[in-house]
Amino acid sequence: FTLSIYLSIYLSIYLSIYLSVCLSDSAGQFFSSGHTNNWAVLVCTSRFWFNYRHVANTLSVYRSVKRLGIPDSHIVLMLADDMACNHRNPKPATVFSHKNMELNVYGDDVEVDYRGYEVTVENFLRVLTGRLPPSTPRSKRLLSDDRSNILIYLTGHGGNGFLKFQDSEEISNVELADAFEQMWQKRRYNELLFIIDTCQGASMYERFYSPNLMALASSQVGEDSLSHQPDLAIGVHLMDRYTFYLLEFLEDIHPASKANMNDLFKVCPKSQCVSTPGHRTDLFLRDPGSVLITDFFGSVRKVEITTEAIDLTDPIKEVEERPANGDVHKEMHSYVDQLPVSEIIHQKPKQKDWHPPDGFILGLWTLILLVFFQTYGVKHLRHIF
Amino acid sequence: MAAPLTLLLVLAVTIRAALFRSSLAELIAERVEVVSPITAWKRVVEGLALLDLGVSPYSGDVFHETPLIIYLFHFVVDYAEITFMLADVITAVALYMAVKDYNKQVFRKQKFALEADRYPLDCLELIRSPKEIYLLNPFTILSCVAKSTCGLNNAVVALFIFSTIKGNTLLSAIFLCLATYQSIYPLTLCAPAMLYLMQRQYIPVNFRRASFWWFIAQYLFMYLGSLFVLICLSFFLLGSWDYMPSVYGFILSVPDLTPNIGLFWYFFAEMFEHFRLFFLCVFQINVFFYTIPLSVKLKEHPVFLIFMQLAVISIFKSYPTVGDIALYMAFLPVWSHLYRFLRNTFLVSCVLLACSTLFPVLWHLWIYAGSANSNFYYAITLLFNVAQILLVSDYFYAFLRREHHLTYGLYLKRKDGSEATLVLK
Repeated sequence: FTLSIYLSIYLSIYLSIYLSVCLSDSAGQFFSSGHTNNWAVLVCTSRFWFNYRHVANTLSVYRSVKRLGIPDSHIVLMLADDMACNHRNPKPATVFSHKNMELNVYGDDVEVDYRGYEVTVENFLRVLTGRLPPSTPRSKRLLSDDRSNILIYLTGHGGNGFLKFQDSEEISNVELADAFEQMWQKRRYNELLFIIDTCQGASMYERFYSPNLMALASSQVGEDSLSHQPDLAIGVHLMDRYTFYLLEFLEDIHPASKANMNDLFKVCPKSQCVSTPGHRTDLFLRDPGSVLITDFFGSVRKVEITTEAIDLTDPIKEVEERPANGDVHKEMHSYVDQLPVSEIIHQKPKQKDWHPPDGFILGLWTLILLVFFQTYGVKHLRHIF
Repeated sequence: MAAPLTLLLVLAVTIRAALFRSSLAELIAERVEVVSPITAWKRVVEGLALLDLGVSPYSGDVFHETPLIIYLFHFVVDYAEITFMLADVITAVALYMAVKDYNKQVFRKQKFALEADRYPLDCLELIRSPKEIYLLNPFTILSCVAKSTCGLNNAVVALFIFSTIKGNTLLSAIFLCLATYQSIYPLTLCAPAMLYLMQRQYIPVNFRRASFWWFIAQYLFMYLGSLFVLICLSFFLLGSWDYMPSVYGFILSVPDLTPNIGLFWYFFAEMFEHFRLFFLCVFQINVFFYTIPLSVKLKEHPVFLIFMQLAVISIFKSYPTVGDIALYMAFLPVWSHLYRFLRNTFLVSCVLLACSTLFPVLWHLWIYAGSANSNFYYAITLLFNVAQILLVSDYFYAFLRREHHLTYGLYLKRKDGSEATLVLK
């Protein structure tokens, strides 16, 4: 009888410890991502009607990201050309992502932030690093902070180490890596997911060196990313393969899903994509298996309900610091007074006149006189004139 | 017609002074055809300012003049305009007296020549002295108004020519050394100077004769000695060897590719780094390469050789300006008796005129309007240089043809008595 009591006590203790460990695990997982807001920068870099698929790619990702909870105010959408209102579009005001026109990704609530010729390498880098002119409206800014998870999606035509913008300029992988480093140093992201769907896309993430970056690409160096299928009614290819299968994968994700990055890496294997998708996780601090899809694609906030009441009616009292020894009075340093600026700017440089060294003058004129007398001789001087 | 020298000088000085006072002076001083990174006045002022601030003027890529220029302008920088006008005047006077002397010698030589049929007009008496051409040449005026130190280079070269023709070996070596010290290319004028001086002292140009080698040794000793002295003296001016890479390294390795009227900039702008050294050597050798063949051919006519060498230098040097062109064009009236044998005068003069007017037009279109590109400007540069080369080779042909006529008669007849034609092979 005492043995059973002993056993039950032992079991209950063990269970409570186990549960607490479990709870702390899930609590740990609860707070493991460390981000408080989500941003998305979605860029389509090509123009012209036959690059319809790039616009459709970007709009599909935009649709998924919006559906999973990131609001328009946190999405910077850059489309280099307008396909929906292109005069070659037989179905105006629509952009389809699937043949048989099953899915119109344009919809009626698309907010494009950078359109047409505003999509340039300079604007893209300025958006990323935040170095925009003061007159830029908020909708065109990436107002992320050090607790933001950012999703960056690029699509267009690319090559080994570069991505072509607008058929006239390129961004190189080095520039992109440096922009991300600037973002890291300015604490503009917590974690960043970089997805690129171009030919030889893996070359674009080769040069990253900042922490907390994860990258996915649709093809390796030396491979081309291929488009999915043409639509005979519209007359162009509607989507690229990688983004098509990515969209299919994302359609199954809902805000509460627990799918993680390892599932994302499996999207579009070589049999479906023809090119080999690649990914890079060495700079990422967490294990990709513990990163949820919704950490980047959605804006999922977990709410903890508490039954406690917090009293906010008392004013917060300022805590006064007492100096260590009472007689020393700390000087108030204002930033302006630290350098004697007015003295510095009114200082004129001391004008030191340079004079050629005396030895030089002596030597030069001796030589000149020597030559003169050698040539003319003192007594022949009058014959010259 | 030889206008009196003083009248011409006054006129030239008036024109330059008027232009200095007008607003054109700044405009011209910025034109890339007139100033090059080596000769620009702006850079001289900058270098002197750096010196006043206690920094070596050769630090950075601003100043590429020799220390003697620093010394000269340190004292005359406020009177720069007068200095350049004086330089032009010296050049003109030196050339005038040189050519007068040369004419006298040529006359004397031809009196002693016994040829059967000489054409009646030994039209050497009709030579227009080079002074007008030099002073009133728009290129010279532009160069002077822009205060490009090319004018000083020209003055030194003119003094060198004057002293050579006068027969003074020491002065000729010293002035040549000064000219080489300024820019490396007058080195090639050693050969014609030596040939002329040997001719004057009746030393036969024969490799087997000891007097030939002895004279060459003397001249080279004077030349190299004064060059050595000058270089050491320049070291003592600033106390460092900084000026060597800044001046000579700059001339030889052509790092600055600002467009000018030469051939280097476009080519090296589009060259891959891998081949740069090779093509640099090729281009630089091109300047020095014509010395030996031309000296062999023209060993009896060293003054013409000087003219040819000056032309070759100003076409093929790394940073030519219109001032260099003005120098060799000053010689053209000396050979005005060759006019009847020139074949391309119309073409050359039209092309030179057209290109000179097109230079600023295409520059404006390229840089300011943005509707042309560097190819347009380079095309005109090429055409300009081709016209110059054509001019020089035309004169060469005419000279050789005249020599041939002097030896074999003007109206050539074949063996059967019919009229023959000369063909240049």
